[in-house]
Amino acid sequence: MSHSLRRTALKGVLRCCAAAVLIPSLIASAAARENVLRVSAIPDEAPTELQRKFAPLGNYLEKETGMKVSFVPVSDYAAVVESLATKKLDLAWLGGFTFVQAKIRSHGTAIPIVQREEDARFTSKFVTADPAIKSFADLKGKTFAFGAPSSTSGHLMPRFFLQQAGVSADKDFRTVAFSGAHDATVAFVAAGRADAGVLNASVWDKLVEQKKVDADKVRVFATTPPYFDYNWTVRGDLDPALVKKLTDAFVKLDAKNPEHAEIMQLQRASKFIPTKQENYDGIEQAAKSAGLLK
Amino acid sequence: MEAAAWQRDPAARGRATALLLGLAVLWPLLQMAEFRPAAIFAAQNLHAVGGFLAGFLPPATGPEFLGYLLRATLETLAIATAGVALAFVIAVPLALLTTRALAAAEIGPGPGLCRARWLQHALRALLTVLRGIPELVWALLFVRVFGLGPAAGVLALALTYGGMLAKVYAEILESGDTRPARAILEAGGGRLPALLYGLLPGAAQELTSYTAYRWECALRASVVMGFVGAGGLGQLMDQAMKMLNGGEAATILLTFLLLVLAADALSGFLRQRLGAAGTRGGVAGIGATGYALGLLGAAAAAASFAWLDLGLGALLTRESARLIGDFVAAFLAPDLSLPWLARVGYGLIETLAISAVGTLLAVAGGLALALPASGRYGAPAGRLTRFGLNALRSVPELVWATVTVLAVGLGPFAGALALALHTAGVLGRLFAEALQNAPPTPRDALLDAGARPAAAFLYGTLPEVAPQFVAYTLYRWEMNIRMAAILGFVGAGGLGQLLYYALSLFHYAQASTVIAAMLLLSVVVDAASAALRRRL
Repeated sequence: MSHSLRRTALKGVLRCCAAAVLIPSLIASAAARENVLRVSAIPDEAPTELQRKFAPLGNYLEKETGMKVSFVPVSDYAAVVESLATKKLDLAWLGGFTFVQAKIRSHGTAIPIVQREEDARFTSKFVTADPAIKSFADLKGKTFAFGAPSSTSGHLMPRFFLQQAGVSADKDFRTVAFSGAHDATVAFVAAGRADAGVLNASVWDKLVEQKKVDADKVRVFATTPPYFDYNWTVRGDLDPALVKKLTDAFVKLDAKNPEHAEIMQLQRASKFIPTKQENYDGIEQAAKSAGLLK
Repeated sequence: MEAAAWQRDPAARGRATALLLGLAVLWPLLQMAEFRPAAIFAAQNLHAVGGFLAGFLPPATGPEFLGYLLRATLETLAIATAGVALAFVIAVPLALLTTRALAAAEIGPGPGLCRARWLQHALRALLTVLRGIPELVWALLFVRVFGLGPAAGVLALALTYGGMLAKVYAEILESGDTRPARAILEAGGGRLPALLYGLLPGAAQELTSYTAYRWECALRASVVMGFVGAGGLGQLMDQAMKMLNGGEAATILLTFLLLVLAADALSGFLRQRLGAAGTRGGVAGIGATGYALGLLGAAAAAASFAWLDLGLGALLTRESARLIGDFVAAFLAPDLSLPWLARVGYGLIETLAISAVGTLLAVAGGLALALPASGRYGAPAGRLTRFGLNALRSVPELVWATVTVLAVGLGPFAGALALALHTAGVLGRLFAEALQNAPPTPRDALLDAGARPAAAFLYGTLPEVAPQFVAYTLYRWEMNIRMAAILGFVGAGGLGQLLYYALSLFHYAQASTVIAAMLLLSVVVDAASAALRRRL
């Protein structure tokens, strides 16, 4: 008797499991996803802003590759890295540190194809609204805002250079906050949510240009030495012909060409140059010595 | 006269001792939570909050933004519906296997008894793990494994709510009359007939009602999960809040309020209809309303799956099995080094402090608001405060936290304040209901004897409702402990901040320790509150 009982119960369970597995997969459309280039970017700025910035570039890439380009907005840095490593994305705009993470998580297969000329000599700006803060030494005992934990210019490199200057981000600040994005860091500092903060030079310049920051109130009190930052990375097993097409398309972009002017202005680039994995070895070393990579 | 009245209070000494003892326990907690009420009123912070709130007007109404908003709203609805549907599929077999009401092996000493008990224990442990890990944490993990978008939210809801539904379903089945089912089993009937003919007729209504309530909760939760990139309204909210875009935040918040109120009304209506259907015919059971409801639910779930286009089929490939395996393996070796354990331990205590301070502030606020809300100061004041209470509780804690962080700066106090704001809304409503339902006789007797209204309230009404107040407070505290563990995602300290940091840097071993700590906290709180409730 107990056998037949168990069998009945088991059958019920199996039926339920089968339903759980079958229903969604039947409903999930088997739409051909092959002819779509899936692109994303680390959310170092507001995702809506990123989408706006990407639109003309997306159209250009559609024309150059003959594929449909879809941009997936994201709010988590690590999700972009993991998606690239698990082949759910084909092309992604990564920071130096997120590239190193992607390289490690894809077992060395992720390929950086191009970077902006500016990215070869990138810097970060330390900002504050507190008149008493004039140097790194004045930061001790204050609250400090980084961008996202996996940001190169908003966390890793500033942390590394602070460490070199004898300031430990873990011990010397009263509270360390992660604002999540560069423009949010400025908002934090301007609103007094943090005594000081750090963000990438490119976003700072843009905010000053667009008068989105009150320059009388928030000021730069230190700048980091230059380092390699952002690049466009493809997953390692993308068709080499497509990789070449993409690289060529980027390198062909010219700020002086009126057709490309809008794209280049939105990307804040004068031109794109080919890049390679070795360019980011310095970042990897810095991440190791700052304790962010194990 | 005053002094004489004071001396006549027989409970004075006991109350004073309790108060002092309470303060002694509370003091370190307040310290831990960095309780600095002055910070709220600092000129600079008032200015920041004022500036931010001023930005709420006018709410954003650009056509492009409204397009995003509509999409996100539909997505949130679909995530909640699909999540609860999957949770249901997970919960039903687990509930049937764990409920004592259908334990055929316990009928007589048979060879299967020992094995059946072990299976039950294992499954119950699985349920504890499923619901002990907050859905936000599951979502954060799933975003990694399954990619960006709503699939992560749906699966996170499915697991946490699957665990909760299974537990509650099993309890509901056990709490009713189990004799008909037992009779069927003893007569040699299978478990399925025993369920269908023995248990369901009595329990169907309560089961449906609880499922509807959970759907409403899922809606709120799916908003919150957007904060970690699982799509929907929360994702929009997170972006608007991070960029301090007040106009967009205001529109999203309004949409969200409407959605929650509508869901509240809908699930209330369903429960009422079910209640009526159950009693009207005099026949317990599923009935026409039940079947219609089931069909409606199934249709809504199917539409949600179709609209979200989750592509869950892709999860069944060998490739993704390998990926999931790798991911899980990275979590199986938690970082147990002393420095990390010390940090997690500190985060654990900080989480407790945040929850305790937040709940206490909420009790104070809730009491203050419950008095007018219960209608003591006239009907208009009552309506106004009830609306205020609804607004307070409709905004999730995580969203409040993004505002309080602005008000008092980053850190645990912001978290405690966020908990306090939301919980004050919930407790205020519950307290007001309890006050309205309290028997008026003792109070009236005191008033007739010439006591002042305040004294009549303190000695006539309060003792009547105090046990209920304590029970509600403990229950909310329990929920707040879990909530405090994840508030760190928006910079409010505690375990959440540690987890977010570790996950961002792919330090999975360390993240695993934090998740284990959250699970431990949840299990301990569960056990403690169950023990306490038995005592009360």
